[in-house]
Amino acid sequence: MDGSDTAPLLTVEHVTKSFGGVQAMRDGSFDLKRGEVVAIVGGNGAGKSTLAKIVSGAHVPDSGRICIKGVEVSRADHSVSHMQASGIEVVYQDLALVPNMTAPYNLFLGRIPRKWGLFVDEKKMRAKTREVLKQLNVTTVQDLSQPISSMSGGQQQSIAIGRAIAWGSDIVILDEPTAALGPNETGEVERLVEDVRDQHGTSFILISHNLDQVRRLADRIIVTHHGVTSREFKRDEITSDRLVKAITLGE
Amino acid sequence: MSDTTTTTKPFLHPERVEKLRDYVPFIAIALVILMFWAISGDRFMSVRNWTFIAQQTPVLLLLAFAQLMIVTTGSIDISIGSSLAFSAFLGALGMLWFGDVGLILGVLAGGFVGMVNGCIISLLKIPSFVTTLAMLIIVRALVIIMSDGTSIYITSDSGASGGNISSVAAPWLLSMGKFPAIFILAAIVSLLMWAFYEKTVFGQQLRAVGGNEKVLRLVGINVTTFKIKVFAAAGLMVGLAACINLARAGAATPQAGMMMELDAIAAVALGGTPLTGGYGSVVKTIIGALTLTIVRNGLTIAGVPPSWSQVALGILLIAAIAISLNRSKIDVVK
Repeated sequence: MDGSDTAPLLTVEHVTKSFGGVQAMRDGSFDLKRGEVVAIVGGNGAGKSTLAKIVSGAHVPDSGRICIKGVEVSRADHSVSHMQASGIEVVYQDLALVPNMTAPYNLFLGRIPRKWGLFVDEKKMRAKTREVLKQLNVTTVQDLSQPISSMSGGQQQSIAIGRAIAWGSDIVILDEPTAALGPNETGEVERLVEDVRDQHGTSFILISHNLDQVRRLADRIIVTHHGVTSREFKRDEITSDRLVKAITLGE
Repeated sequence: MSDTTTTTKPFLHPERVEKLRDYVPFIAIALVILMFWAISGDRFMSVRNWTFIAQQTPVLLLLAFAQLMIVTTGSIDISIGSSLAFSAFLGALGMLWFGDVGLILGVLAGGFVGMVNGCIISLLKIPSFVTTLAMLIIVRALVIIMSDGTSIYITSDSGASGGNISSVAAPWLLSMGKFPAIFILAAIVSLLMWAFYEKTVFGQQLRAVGGNEKVLRLVGINVTTFKIKVFAAAGLMVGLAACINLARAGAATPQAGMMMELDAIAAVALGGTPLTGGYGSVVKTIIGALTLTIVRNGLTIAGVPPSWSQVALGILLIAAIAISLNRSKIDVVK
């Protein structure tokens, strides 16, 4: 584990992206090491979501370089499925779950195991779900036959994070993971992120408006301002004041 | 809210109402049977009448299965009545051209209409209601053009055909339209439909599309081709219903299946399936189709004029949907 500390898992160098004349990302650069939580903060329209979507594969950058474990992702390869295969998963703001389906189904979304080519292998799904929930120390989800719409927001977000890590991904992008949750549930999700990081060495990219949360969770904070990743802070050098100044004034 | 769990629950506690809602189709059919038994006595509760009901239900049941698949995804298909006439006509034509195996053409015709529906909806992104409304008109017109307004008859003896009346001798098909063959066929299709809808990956995906289509796209599932497959699969079921209808009616007529699309939707709704998609049950759809048939049958036996029984069926449909809806979860009604 000592050697991996030096080699970044992900490097993003000078990526740009414009949408019909609007330059959403003018110069985005940052890197991410194994087991690290990096937060990307910035005001509305500062480019943090664009940066996250470039990393998740949803947006193809106009220029710049992205390397995963030292391998450059070519522009032709740049897609959600390629990024997933490279070990990057996203937990979306609006949960991205199917509300009327069960927890196992949501965990296996897009990967439903089959029996005899046609049928759902429910046994396998349930066993794996219990395993993942145990790994996450989530004890509140007991009845796996219930649709997840009957669960709390925190439980649902646990399933979403479970889905991101269940398939052995190295990097999880959390896009405003607690924006829709109350304080208790937010705490639940934050604990989960720390647990997963400590136990599995998973790296997280956290996109958040919640500066307190960012300071609680992140090892490093990248500030985007007018489409440029303008500042970077280490955990111990951040004060709220400096952060707010960096976000609003870009200094 | 939490203290209500410790104290005794009021009779109409939300949780109780929610649970009760699951049983509405079963309660409804029991009430309907008891009511007509009370009104008409042995004329309703006779072996002869129940045999009649068993013969009457299967066509509607299969159409309801087709509708169930589509409604579960959150779409609707109101072209299935026209598609039934088209499929039955092509099935009969197929038998004229190729002999008994030609009946397969009828099943395929239904699948074809479904596929066209699915392609228009998925690729041109026209809402299913509008697409299938147009197809209801187009397909019916096609049947009238093709048939020139005449019917093709299924006969039991081979010598009768000739003259200017089109007919096919297929006694086996006519016997398929009678009890018990038609009942056994319906039972087998129901069993297969149950396994397909409840246990397969395809069946789960129907619900998931009805629940949150966007998420499926995000995880890389091709929803566009899936929807085309759903409409095609439902179409095949309509084609099968058309063949059974051909056996029951003994003829492929240009008017076959008119208004049957509404019966199918009613059966699905009576089975407690929300028309907004995401949920559904094969067993309850069977109950829904049976309820509809029994009500129609019971009203006829009780001497209610046909127009008034249509009014009663309409009211029943609205009542069924009103009870099965969970209004607390509805934000907007369009």
